[in-house]
Amino acid sequence: MKFLIFSDIEDSAKQVMSFLKGKGDFVLYTTEKGESLTKYGAQKIVLLTGKPEVKGISSLLSDEFSSGGYDLVMIASTVLGRDVASLFSGQKSIEVIPEIFDIKFNSGTVTTKRYGLGGKAVIEEESKSKLFTFLSGLSDDVPGDGSSPIETKNIPEGVVKILAIEQKKAKEVNLEKANIIVAVGRGLGKIEGIQQIEPLVKAVRGELAGSRPVCLDYHWLSEDRQVGYSGRTVKPKAYVALGISGQIQHIAGMRGSKVVVAVNKDKNAPIFQEADYGIVGDLYQIVPKIVSYL
Amino acid sequence: MPYDIVVLIKQIPDLELIKVNQSTEEPITDGVPFKFENLSKNSVEAAVRIKEKNGGKITAVLFGNEKGTQVMKEAYAMGVDEGILITGYSENNPVLTAKVLAQKIKQLHYDLVILGNQSADSMSGMVAGLVATELNLPLLSNAVSIEVADKIVKVSTATEKDVIKSETTMPAVISVTQETNEPRFPPVLQIIKAGKKSISTEQSTVKIENTSKIISKKAPKSERKRLIFEDVDKGAQEVAKVLKEAMK
Repeated sequence: MKFLIFSDIEDSAKQVMSFLKGKGDFVLYTTEKGESLTKYGAQKIVLLTGKPEVKGISSLLSDEFSSGGYDLVMIASTVLGRDVASLFSGQKSIEVIPEIFDIKFNSGTVTTKRYGLGGKAVIEEESKSKLFTFLSGLSDDVPGDGSSPIETKNIPEGVVKILAIEQKKAKEVNLEKANIIVAVGRGLGKIEGIQQIEPLVKAVRGELAGSRPVCLDYHWLSEDRQVGYSGRTVKPKAYVALGISGQIQHIAGMRGSKVVVAVNKDKNAPIFQEADYGIVGDLYQIVPKIVSYL
Repeated sequence: MPYDIVVLIKQIPDLELIKVNQSTEEPITDGVPFKFENLSKNSVEAAVRIKEKNGGKITAVLFGNEKGTQVMKEAYAMGVDEGILITGYSENNPVLTAKVLAQKIKQLHYDLVILGNQSADSMSGMVAGLVATELNLPLLSNAVSIEVADKIVKVSTATEKDVIKSETTMPAVISVTQETNEPRFPPVLQIIKAGKKSISTEQSTVKIENTSKIISKKAPKSERKRLIFEDVDKGAQEVAKVLKEAMK
């Protein structure tokens, strides 16, 4: 079996290559320059240069798919990836199974899992589909010692003109690698509250994260610290949710955690359904107490 | 210069009200009320803002079921001029949805098609690109801001790493995000007026072969211990123990 992979994000590229190792040959198409991508056993890495216009990328991939003898296409579910996949699906009239977090290859069919109803259901389905978008967190990142050759290809220009590309602030954190994550939600109440959480983060040598409102609406934390369906998918040894109510969108991003601890004022908060250990009460009182017992 | 806009809107079950059938482990959607999907509100808002500045007509198209009339009335109250409800939606299938919507859009006059980038229930993120392909139109997606002038549309797209500014000539398909705008709450008078407005309803006739078969659709399993402490001190001690273990 031969896979065509597209990811404009390094982490997702590494995860999917780790996942596919031993399951077939694969070629990674990416806009990311990382030298570290060569250590995952790809037959080759095709670095896409030029402006990242989605129609241009999907046309290029669709030509490569036809000429390269590929069986299946795996595209990282990112802002660009989802568009590339949808255009590819339309252009090639190939049905896409979107947002998968697991895939098994049978003879002639695949069995995939994805969330439905906003995370309230896991849909397991069997199909003959050849095109998938996959969520971040598909697999652990397991580098090997190979060295894939890199070639470059230029993205053809399309009818959409790219005028400017501004880099967002550099990523501060790699939540996927954290052993312990301390995450804050709306219940924190104010940005200044973060200072009072930091002693706990330090004491457990963990990383600070946040829910969607905290990162995207209030900007108390940077976007790359957002855990949830639309943010990072994490699987730490321990996940501490402080003042997070437990909306399904958040749960989808931390469900794989080994142990979940929740602190919330509201004893009916849904997060307690998803927790191993819960404390009902004021997080500003409880956090220093936990620190004192460490 | 006035712009005619088609907005694609969606009804979804109220996800927070979905319960799980304990014996089958399946989520229960029967009887769960539908609501106006959030990103559809952002789409309507984006269209109404363009209309307020430039003039033009907004037509909303909803592929759903009979209950969609309620959602359409909310869209009217926000400023949509004409609503078309296509019934016959059963399961989430982005390819089918895109074909149904595109077939209808082709019969309308438009400069822009606006829709949400990734709806809150199925989250596929596929419909915008599929509609653009069906209509053979350029796609400007995941817009966090939209500007129109002289039949040219410019958007900013926030990816995970960059903010990309791009433009194209109309007609075009634009998908919007939650960050695009803050949808308005229409005044009561407009809601009352909207209730009286007619909605044209038709049945979908598009059929496609469904190549995937659902094996199971169950609530995600949670095998958490759920040891909940109301005694804060005892809880903190226990949690400290757990964290020490995880630090090893």
